[in-house]
Amino acid sequence: MSHSTGNGVTPLDRLQRKQDGRNVDSTLGVLAGEGSRQRVKDPESAYPAHGQQVSTLPSRAGPEREEAPSYYGLPAVKEPVWIWSIPAYLYVGGVAGAASVLGLAADMAGGPKLARLGRRCLWVGTVGDMLSAGLLIHDLGRPERFLNMLRVFRPTSPMSIGSWVLAASGGLNTLGLLLGHRRGWAGAVGRGATAGAAVLGMPLAGYTAVLLCNSAVPVWQATHRTLPLFFMSSATAAAGSLLSLLPHGPREERVLRPYRLTGKVAKVLTFAAVERDAARVSEVARPLKEGLPGALWRTSRVCSAAGLLLEVLPGRARWKQVASDVLNTVASLASRFALFHAGKASARNPQATFQGQRQGLGAAEVMGHTVASDGKPLKFPLPVLR
Amino acid sequence: MPGLGISLGRGGATTFQQDLKNADCIVIQGSNMAECHPVGFQWVMEARERGATLIHVDPRFTRTSAMANLHVPIRAGTDIAFLGGLIHFLLEHERYFKDYVLHYTNAANIIREGFQDTEDLDGFFSGYLPDEGKYDIATWQYEGVSGTVPAGGHKQLYAEPGAGKGGEEEGTTARFEAHKDPTLQHPRCVFQLLKRHFQRYTPAIVSQVCGVPEEQFLKVAEALCANSGRERTTAFCYSVGWTQHSVGVQYIRTASILQLLLGNIGRPGGGILALRGHASIQGSSDIPTLYNLLPGYMPMPHARQGYDLDDYLKDHAASTGWWSNLPKYAVSLLKAWFGDAATKENHYLFGHLPRLTGNHSHMQTVADMADGRVKGYFVMGENPAVGSMNGALQRKGLRQLDWLVVRDLTLIETAEFWRHAPEIDRGDVRTEDIQTEVFFFPAAAHTEKEGTFTNTQRLLQWRDRAVDPPGDARSELHFIYHLGRRLKALYASSRERKDQPLHDLTWDYPTRGKHEEPSAEAVLQEINGYTIADRHVVSGFSDLKDDGSTACGCWIYSGCYADGVNQTARRKPAREQSWVAPEWGWAWPANRRLLYNRASADPEGRPWSERKKYVWWDAEQRRWTGEDVPDFIADRPPDYRPPEDARGVDALGGTDPFLMQVDGKAWLFAPSGVVDGPLPTHYEPEESPVRNALYGQQCNPARLEWRRRDNPLHRAWADPRYPFVLTTYRLTEHHTAGGMSRWLSWLSELQPEQFCEVSPELAAERGLTNGGWATVRTARGDMECRVLVTERLRPLKLNGKWVHQIGLPYHWGVTGRVRASGANDLIPFVADPNVEIQESKAFTGDIVAGRQATGERAAAGAPERALPPGVPELRRDSPSVGDVAHAVYQEKWEQEP
Amino acid sequence: MGQKGFFTDTTLCIGCKACEVACKQWNQLPDDGFRFTGMSYDNTGALGASTWRHVAFVERPVPLQGQATGVGDFSWLMMSDVCKHCQRAGCLEACPTGAIIRTEFDTVYVQPDVCNGCGYCVVGCPFGVISRREDDGRAWKCTLCYDRLGEGMTPACAKACPTESIAFGDLDELHTRAENRVRKLHEQGVTDAYLYGKDSANQPGTGGLNAFFLLVDRPEVYGLPPDPVVPTVKGARTWGMVALGALGMAAVALGSVLAGREARS
Ligand SMILES: Nc1nc2c(c(=O)[nH]1)N[C@H]1C(S)=C(S)[C@@H](COP(=O)(O)OP(=O)(O)OC[C@H]3O[C@@H](n4cnc5c(=O)[nH]c(N)nc54)[C@H](O)[C@@H]3O)O[C@H]1N2
Ligand SMILES: Nc1nc2c(c(=O)[nH]1)N[C@H]1C(S)=C(S)[C@@H](COP(=O)(O)OP(=O)(O)OC[C@H]3O[C@@H](n4cnc5c(=O)[nH]c(N)nc54)[C@H](O)[C@@H]3O)O[C@H]1N2
Ligand code: SF4
Ligand code: SF4
Ligand code: SF4
Ligand code: SF4
Ligand code: SF4
Ligand SMILES: [Mo]
Repeated sequence: MSHSTGNGVTPLDRLQRKQDGRNVDSTLGVLAGEGSRQRVKDPESAYPAHGQQVSTLPSRAGPEREEAPSYYGLPAVKEPVWIWSIPAYLYVGGVAGAASVLGLAADMAGGPKLARLGRRCLWVGTVGDMLSAGLLIHDLGRPERFLNMLRVFRPTSPMSIGSWVLAASGGLNTLGLLLGHRRGWAGAVGRGATAGAAVLGMPLAGYTAVLLCNSAVPVWQATHRTLPLFFMSSATAAAGSLLSLLPHGPREERVLRPYRLTGKVAKVLTFAAVERDAARVSEVARPLKEGLPGALWRTSRVCSAAGLLLEVLPGRARWKQVASDVLNTVASLASRFALFHAGKASARNPQATFQGQRQGLGAAEVMGHTVASDGKPLKFPLPVLR
Repeated sequence: MPGLGISLGRGGATTFQQDLKNADCIVIQGSNMAECHPVGFQWVMEARERGATLIHVDPRFTRTSAMANLHVPIRAGTDIAFLGGLIHFLLEHERYFKDYVLHYTNAANIIREGFQDTEDLDGFFSGYLPDEGKYDIATWQYEGVSGTVPAGGHKQLYAEPGAGKGGEEEGTTARFEAHKDPTLQHPRCVFQLLKRHFQRYTPAIVSQVCGVPEEQFLKVAEALCANSGRERTTAFCYSVGWTQHSVGVQYIRTASILQLLLGNIGRPGGGILALRGHASIQGSSDIPTLYNLLPGYMPMPHARQGYDLDDYLKDHAASTGWWSNLPKYAVSLLKAWFGDAATKENHYLFGHLPRLTGNHSHMQTVADMADGRVKGYFVMGENPAVGSMNGALQRKGLRQLDWLVVRDLTLIETAEFWRHAPEIDRGDVRTEDIQTEVFFFPAAAHTEKEGTFTNTQRLLQWRDRAVDPPGDARSELHFIYHLGRRLKALYASSRERKDQPLHDLTWDYPTRGKHEEPSAEAVLQEINGYTIADRHVVSGFSDLKDDGSTACGCWIYSGCYADGVNQTARRKPAREQSWVAPEWGWAWPANRRLLYNRASADPEGRPWSERKKYVWWDAEQRRWTGEDVPDFIADRPPDYRPPEDARGVDALGGTDPFLMQVDGKAWLFAPSGVVDGPLPTHYEPEESPVRNALYGQQCNPARLEWRRRDNPLHRAWADPRYPFVLTTYRLTEHHTAGGMSRWLSWLSELQPEQFCEVSPELAAERGLTNGGWATVRTARGDMECRVLVTERLRPLKLNGKWVHQIGLPYHWGVTGRVRASGANDLIPFVADPNVEIQESKAFTGDIVAGRQATGERAAAGAPERALPPGVPELRRDSPSVGDVAHAVYQEKWEQEP
Repeated sequence: MGQKGFFTDTTLCIGCKACEVACKQWNQLPDDGFRFTGMSYDNTGALGASTWRHVAFVERPVPLQGQATGVGDFSWLMMSDVCKHCQRAGCLEACPTGAIIRTEFDTVYVQPDVCNGCGYCVVGCPFGVISRREDDGRAWKCTLCYDRLGEGMTPACAKACPTESIAFGDLDELHTRAENRVRKLHEQGVTDAYLYGKDSANQPGTGGLNAFFLLVDRPEVYGLPPDPVVPTVKGARTWGMVALGALGMAAVALGSVLAGREARS
């Protein structure tokens, strides 16, 4: 109606809103509370829930209150606060890890003829590690925050383990790159470092799955047994594709071909396994079927399948190979983004949390009890896999 | 609080909140205690934990209802019908507490021959003066008493027609005893009148008027009866859900009658707890900010009464009962104010006191302001532009002033009315046309100054200063003291008679610090009272004298500084003393926590039951004793019967627990003191969706109503333009007009926007969506708000007709951190005739979906919406006082002898 | 010091939000903006980085045992929610920087000067409690008034609660009190009452909560998970799968190299 009614409309209002959202006049009161150090630029932005406006009757909030109760449909767990660089990192880190492993295999078993492949892998691993760190720092905001990760080592935290793995792997790879071709002790150190990095490459490709699964995000937690295998096979396939797309000789190709193929086959199989794991509870699987993550997930499926098909079709035309690898790369990236967004969506959906747990996907999945915290029996419509 | 005062003798809660835990049943009606008194509500929760039944009667299902065993939705404005129904039930089924009623109430008194009831006169009592909209109360008196039987609790009435002196010539208790029928059979005895008066209030009528189904009503009735009597007690809690009606005082009267019939007054776990509002609102009627009272509930002299102290005392001092002490209290007050200048010869300067010339209540004053009859206005700790009725009329009043002083913590709407108001935004009023000079003084908050609060249970609690006020902020004490000092200086050389009171006023409080902050303790000592000769604090009001040898600022507070100790500052934790906790703070009168507690013992002075013992007669010590300070003459035995010629306090017998009353009895029937009837009667609110189902008379015939263009009223009932019942109330998250909450983000975020509560049925009917916008309208103005659709509100069925109620919290205004145009812009000036309280709990209005407010205000010149063709205007009844322009009213008084 | 915690009895909660405000005031937390939600009387929505106590308002089309109301089958539940200070705390176990510690009072505390804002705790909490304030970049939650406990004071929220809906104290005492309370409610006919998260028997996935609740409807109704689990419990299996995957990766790499070499010769 007018400028002085309604909320937050006058310039005076906006000025007031620009205050720090506390009621302490710093000239009169001491700002010493625990939360006083919280920086506030925009008080309005604090709450996702605030944006939500319930238009149904409060008593009927959620159309199926009786069958599927929730608190106004608000999320039961918080959704991940990460940004795009994290799913990108899931891809890059995987490729780097897998490449390092292949590099070590080539160095160890390939003899001098495959040294070029080893070197190439080392480069991919090193650059991948650097890029990974860059992506993580981008998410954290400031480089020193990454260093903070290395303050302690916490075995219960996949992120802690992962940070150490990434840091070590990056360090070792760099060392390997700088020293590996020298003679004498320096070369030995370099080669040792490369080997170390390669050993770390395996957890590097796999820990990211633990990072996701070790969370309360329903779809991630629900796939906690299959996701590592998917990530690692997908990393293998992705590294294979990347190395294949880079210029290489026939000798390398002879190694890369079976490597790629196995990776792609494993990836298709584990993709299905992940999907099956999630599908145990319809609400958990929902984001893999609907919306942006659903579309990405389907893209990934189609691209992987097509990539594999092209790979196994007879004939060795270069275009076919390139197409297969591009499709596979797209599939890998799409799957990472799909899972990332599916995680966000499933966290937002309280029913994914509630129904998952009611159907035995909560603590019961590992601890075997048969009643929920309210004393009501848990339903186990799905076989409990132990 | 005349509702309690007239019935029982004192205008304060009869009990204290901690005592609620002893109740076997608690009825909360007319209050949303959990939301508005959350801290006191812990004692209700405690009672519930101990097995008490908790009943909440409220139009809405609130946070209080959520805790109740039984929630009864009721149509706003119909509680007299509901409570009257309960009274009918008790009498009909003989479920009242016979011994209690017979001995402690005026049930047996016989009323004068000429008395006619609403039963006889279709909604009027005898004595109605249609031209004045008032009652002549002559026929309401006790038989055998000439003149008026003076009421104990509220004495302003004396200046009104029909009251005045009298009944005092041969004033002994004997005159009451002679005209009683202890068998309660006399057709004109109070008991029989009561029975007859409430005979129509059957469950069927309750259901038809209140919309409460009969079985629900009977559930309440049964719970009450099952939890009253010798072994058990029921407590009532009310607040402004009962008072803010044009029959507000009568609501409380009905509850008092009910509780007396059940024998629940003066007993542990019983009583009527008036839950009061602001931190010291009880204090502000004890030492009043009310225009018609002097401290300690002494009446303000009226211009009609002449200037003589003796006249005043003769008028107001009862010949029997506690008020026979009035001369001591009045003289001590004058001594406190005028010191040595006040002598017996000059009638202790009684002539210096201002005189009433009529109604000077808030609404009347605002109407006078709007008419340009008031030049200046002080607003201290109030925000009438938001908190008072018809906001636009309030602001119109402010615009006509020459000057306005606002003392507040923040720049509230009342200080900003000249630039922030709906009518200014709309362009109907232009800032540059407003002449009023506004002075804003920042006020010190309660943490920044010392003093006492008197809380809801008459408990004075001292509060220390935690920090000094910032900047220019000063305490009220500072402001008033220095204003007085400067005025005295300014007029020091004046010889004019009218300035003499300023010269004579004692104004000598010690001060401290560079800002010369007066000592609050010195003020408290003066309130407590002292002997003139040696300036020694007195130990209580029994020490006060009528010979000018004592001074006392407020006799009921006398004792708060006994022994030279600030009794109000006592803070002995409850766990270190008895559950009554007499050493926490100090309660008036005489540190009594439960009033009329003599009634907790039977006529012989023994507890009614072991379970409910509280105060009893100790035959060995020959004293009253018990958990609390006995509210009785400490050594008066239960079998004492006053001699025929006894006067004063001596005229109170050993079975007269209500010692403020002339007859020592609680008043089921009020021969005086209540201007709109000796017995409560159901009238519809000024604006109602239905006709009065009980009587031909629609509304309270004595109500105050301001019929002015800037205060348009809806049709008396069933106005097709305004079909819904609106009611207003508070939320826990905000405080009243918002000055202390809308500026705080931590509170504002909890309830950020003005909203209305509607039932799903009404939402469907009007296309309202939860969380969406709606516009609420009345003839006074309109308001946009958010919609909360909730099953906590349900339409009620009245005699086959569905009635929708809309709930509106009233905390928002146009400045502050969260804003809205404010619910009080919707409400008219209409008031209860006893205390001039507004009717904000029940009126009518309309609601439509969307943001459709025009910002038009009747008081800013908006035209009235016409009734649809063919719908006739309905006349309510003859005009009432508020209707008459103030000047005319004043003139009328001046003409009278 | 002993184990400290909260027993929040929702049947005593009158929804006054004193706890919410007391928490904000003591901790000097900022407001979160002013928006009307339409969710009954709840306009702050959820626990978050700057709302460490949150009072939920549930309007149910179901009667409450022991209550009769004239508005039909209906009741209004209120519940003051807070960080659970889990025996096995997902946030703590997830935190890579060691910012989250278990204190001498057996409570879970975030050290703001250590937190680097990685956000991992946010997804580690099975109750959706801890969260990151975007314009601050760090994670925040209830400290169980660590600064007050150190001074022997009661947490601000519990102190402000007028009805003792929030009981603070030693965990054993709270357990006894809670059990008695449930027994009493059952005797009074409120058989729906039960304790949520009292101990590991009740909630194996968290090992029990130091801040546990008495509820009268399913946990979901209050927005609480029915069978929460600290994610790390499942972590061992996941790491097992990583080991398996690692074997596979190594095998594929080695196998491919060997196969490639074979093919050449
Ligand atoms: N949090 C908070 N506490 C406060 C205040 C505040 O603003 N905020 N204000 C203080 C003040 S000044 C006061 S006076 C008190 C007031 O305390 P209350 O009287 O308890 O407060 P209200 O909310 O105005 O009204 C009480 C209830 O009356 C109901 N009601 C309305 N009409 C009727 C009716 O005709 N009959 C019946 N039976 N009920 C009706 C309303 O639905 C509402 O639930 O609260 C004090 N306490
Ligand atoms: N529609 C509707 N209207 C109502 C009611 C209702 O139920 N419905 N209730 C009525 C009732 S019961 C009441 S009490 C009124 C309340 O209405 P008001 O008294 O007009 O409103 P408050 O906001 O309580 O105003 C008190 C002001 O005092 C200021 N203040 C606080 N402490 C101090 C101090 O120490 N010194 C000074 N100088 N100022 C101070 C505050 O900032 C605040 O602005 O509203 C009435 N209006
Ligand atoms: S604001 Fe003060 S008076 Fe009102 S409930 Fe709280 S403590 Fe009591
Ligand atoms: S409730 Fe969440 S934030 Fe609180 S201790 Fe448990 S895991 Fe951590
Ligand atoms: S955001 Fe802070 S507290 Fe949370 S896991 Fe990361 S470092 Fe730990
Ligand atoms: S314990 Fe302290 S920090 Fe936690 S919710 Fe209560 S007041 Fe807030
Ligand atoms: S302070 Fe107590 S009663 Fe009030 S909302 Fe919080 S828990 Fe409930
Ligand atoms: Mo009030």
